[in-house]
Amino acid sequence: MRGSRVVMIDTLLLLAMNGLIWGLIIALIALGLSVIFGLLDVINIAHGDFFMVGTVLAWASLEATGNFWIGFIIVPLICLVLGALIQVAVIQPIRGVAALSIVATFGLSLILQEGVRMTFGATPRRMLPPISGTVPLFGIEYELYRLLAATLSLVALATFFWFLRNTKIGTWMRAVRHDRDTATAMGIPAKRVYIFTFAIGFALAGFGGVVAAPITTVDFRGGVDLLPVCFIAVIIGGLGNLPGTAAAAILLSLLEGIIQTVANPTVARITSLVLMSAVLLVRPQGLFKGHVK
Amino acid sequence: MTEPVLRTENLTKRFGGLTAVDNLSLNLPRGRLQAIIGPNGAGKTTFFNLVSGLLGADSGRVFFLGHEITGLKPHEISRLGIKRTLQIKSVFNQLSVAENLWVTRKASSRFLHPFRAASRDLETKARVEQTLAQIGMTALAHRPAGTLSYGDVALLEIGMALISEPRLLLLDEPTCGMSPAETERAVAKIRHLARTIDIVIIEHDMEVVFGMADDITVMAQGAVLASGSPKEIASDERVLEAYLGRPEDEDYVEDVAHA
Amino acid sequence: MTNRIVIERFVLVAFAAFMLAVPWVVPALVNTFWVSVISEILIWSLFAASVNLLFGYVGLLSFGQALFFGFGMYGVGIGIDQLGLSFWPAFGLGISAAMMMALVSGIFAVRLTWHYFAIITVVFSLIFYFIAVTMKPLTGGDDGINFRLPSTFSFGGSQWSFTDATFQYFFILATVSVCFYLMHLVVCSALGKAFLAIRDNDVRASLIGLNVYLLRLTAFVMAGFLAGVAGALFAFFGRYASAVYMFYHVSGEAVVWAIVGGAGTLFGPFIGTSLLIVIRELVSTRWEHHSLIVGMMAILVVILAPKGLVGLWRDGLDRLMSRDAGATTEFGTDPNLRVDP
Repeated sequence: MRGSRVVMIDTLLLLAMNGLIWGLIIALIALGLSVIFGLLDVINIAHGDFFMVGTVLAWASLEATGNFWIGFIIVPLICLVLGALIQVAVIQPIRGVAALSIVATFGLSLILQEGVRMTFGATPRRMLPPISGTVPLFGIEYELYRLLAATLSLVALATFFWFLRNTKIGTWMRAVRHDRDTATAMGIPAKRVYIFTFAIGFALAGFGGVVAAPITTVDFRGGVDLLPVCFIAVIIGGLGNLPGTAAAAILLSLLEGIIQTVANPTVARITSLVLMSAVLLVRPQGLFKGHVK
Repeated sequence: MTEPVLRTENLTKRFGGLTAVDNLSLNLPRGRLQAIIGPNGAGKTTFFNLVSGLLGADSGRVFFLGHEITGLKPHEISRLGIKRTLQIKSVFNQLSVAENLWVTRKASSRFLHPFRAASRDLETKARVEQTLAQIGMTALAHRPAGTLSYGDVALLEIGMALISEPRLLLLDEPTCGMSPAETERAVAKIRHLARTIDIVIIEHDMEVVFGMADDITVMAQGAVLASGSPKEIASDERVLEAYLGRPEDEDYVEDVAHA
Repeated sequence: MTNRIVIERFVLVAFAAFMLAVPWVVPALVNTFWVSVISEILIWSLFAASVNLLFGYVGLLSFGQALFFGFGMYGVGIGIDQLGLSFWPAFGLGISAAMMMALVSGIFAVRLTWHYFAIITVVFSLIFYFIAVTMKPLTGGDDGINFRLPSTFSFGGSQWSFTDATFQYFFILATVSVCFYLMHLVVCSALGKAFLAIRDNDVRASLIGLNVYLLRLTAFVMAGFLAGVAGALFAFFGRYASAVYMFYHVSGEAVVWAIVGGAGTLFGPFIGTSLLIVIRELVSTRWEHHSLIVGMMAILVVILAPKGLVGLWRDGLDRLMSRDAGATTEFGTDPNLRVDP
């Protein structure tokens, strides 16, 4: 009847908004994965754990300083440094056996998860959003923090794309991604670009972690669920197609959110995975037009 | 009138805006050692790739001994008897020389036995030994192919071509990167092979080409510029202009033209 | 025969003798619990072998073998629990389900190579993991299903079943040994050489006439068979089946075991699996974070010893015998194909 239909639409709106906002966060994280995959040719199984480390560090920084917002500066910085260290210690030495990079990142994933479990503990924790309250939106009361999270993610996305276009390092990254040999011949220090790329990948995921921490559980397994989604976005968006990856992340999350009104989340996930398989098999360069590897 | 060994009809291949092979219609008769020459980018290797199935043509057809092979997969074309070598010498680096030959021989069988030990296949083993002797690599039989010198890799490739009993052999720059001594050895082997097998060679080394080929086809910009005997080609103005502009070649070519 | 091969043959015989004596030797040296640990090692090493067949011999890194393990496991679990099958029909169901799944998914997966192949194997295994979790009444989801084990053989009045730890051990040992022996036959056969060629240079392989797609698919189904047998044995061993074992973590660990042991060698998977499971058993009593060790070993092996333990052993032996250590690779150079000058 009319009453339940309104409820259905409300639920649909709510889940769609959640999906959209979550999609923006995923877009950030997936971009990190995409630059790592696209530039370093590494399948980073630990990328979900990079996000998880971001959430844990956000929680830790809140505990330490009492201020949530400062996490937005501290955490990405820590992640940049960690990322650079990992790249030099783990990724760089295995350039000769590229097929095995997936094994190394799998090992990294185990280390990160166990490391967090050892220090942070196995119990999941919840973080309270720094701002509470709701805002009336499209007829439903919507959490203020989520809207803020969306804004932050958008700003971060825009900044990242601006950075790629307008800074020296960003241009170097694009050059090396496009044609490594020519870039090196032109004097671009490819090795340093690789270090920076991996670091930035970690930082993007970590930033996403801070943004997401108040609206998800902080738990050492928090990255496991996220990893497939990021890969799906990267593949469907197209390897090397950064705007495409971001768009795919947003659309996918939106789609999953909408599906959740009629089915459980697992079904939504299965749908995304099937879609991804189809893309891999039929059009491996991704669905979106853009610059293709 | 016997069938040409290789015939193409309006063969075309484009890469984005570039037309690599342009409406190519070739007719290569049997029993003659054919050479294809031309400046870089003329489409020679693309042509080989189209014939051997590594690339699909945008339009046109390819015929091998009268049978159409357009659109067939590389392994199907190989099983019909067309074998080819690649511009950058490539063999199976982690297998030994003998194993390279062994696997090449077995590759065209319909059925690869999954449980019978390879070493029990005495017939193939004998053929491998025979071929090793033919290319003079018996002493190197169990060396991993990846450790061979460049000239030896080229010889191994010729051995692999031999053992598979090809009906048409496509050799892509077989003497590229070889020392003069190695080149001489390779040329002798190829000449010997040409007595029983139809061979088409892509080459840049003019001495090799003019000394070995029965017929020469000159390609430029994806199309045939000229074709004929070495003498005809050497005195063809268009060819000289487009391609043989190098001083060392000039003298050599003049000699052939006025021989 | 080279000296190294003689030594290896000797080690193999000693090892076989030990394995046959385990149910008596091990309880005497340590305790009975370790007999079941060794049974588990055998099962998991078969699973690692399925990864090894694809990666070490054909060059395809599959990160999703847990899918076929799961089909083998659930074939047995659901067969016994829901369909009331007895031992052998359930075993058969598990294995055929795994092979069918390998065929169907392989038809698509094998069209891709390199990174995309690895990714799609994970995706396929994830899809079915989620399906298994959703179909909780049938599969028990992550909690799994327990079932009573029917007997394996019954002659006249006597029954042999897995409840007898010694019988269980020998049945697993026999099955795993048969599978390893079959792998050995394949590797030495014409098919095996074709695999190696494809692994080495797939373009060249197609140019000499090998149907690369079909050969890869064949290997994929064979690997699915091995994983399926492992899964079925696992279900019998634990009287338990759970979706947890279809998750990509399980696939990933098998990849680590295979590479630590030595990809492209016959016993590499067994050695890698043994080492890591023994470490797990020894460490987890005192320290719960043994996964950390697995992770570090994965990274260290990839950086320092990509040929794995067997690779190190062989290079070491060769150097001791002052042969040219690089001349014999772990893949080709079958001495039986040697031609005497």
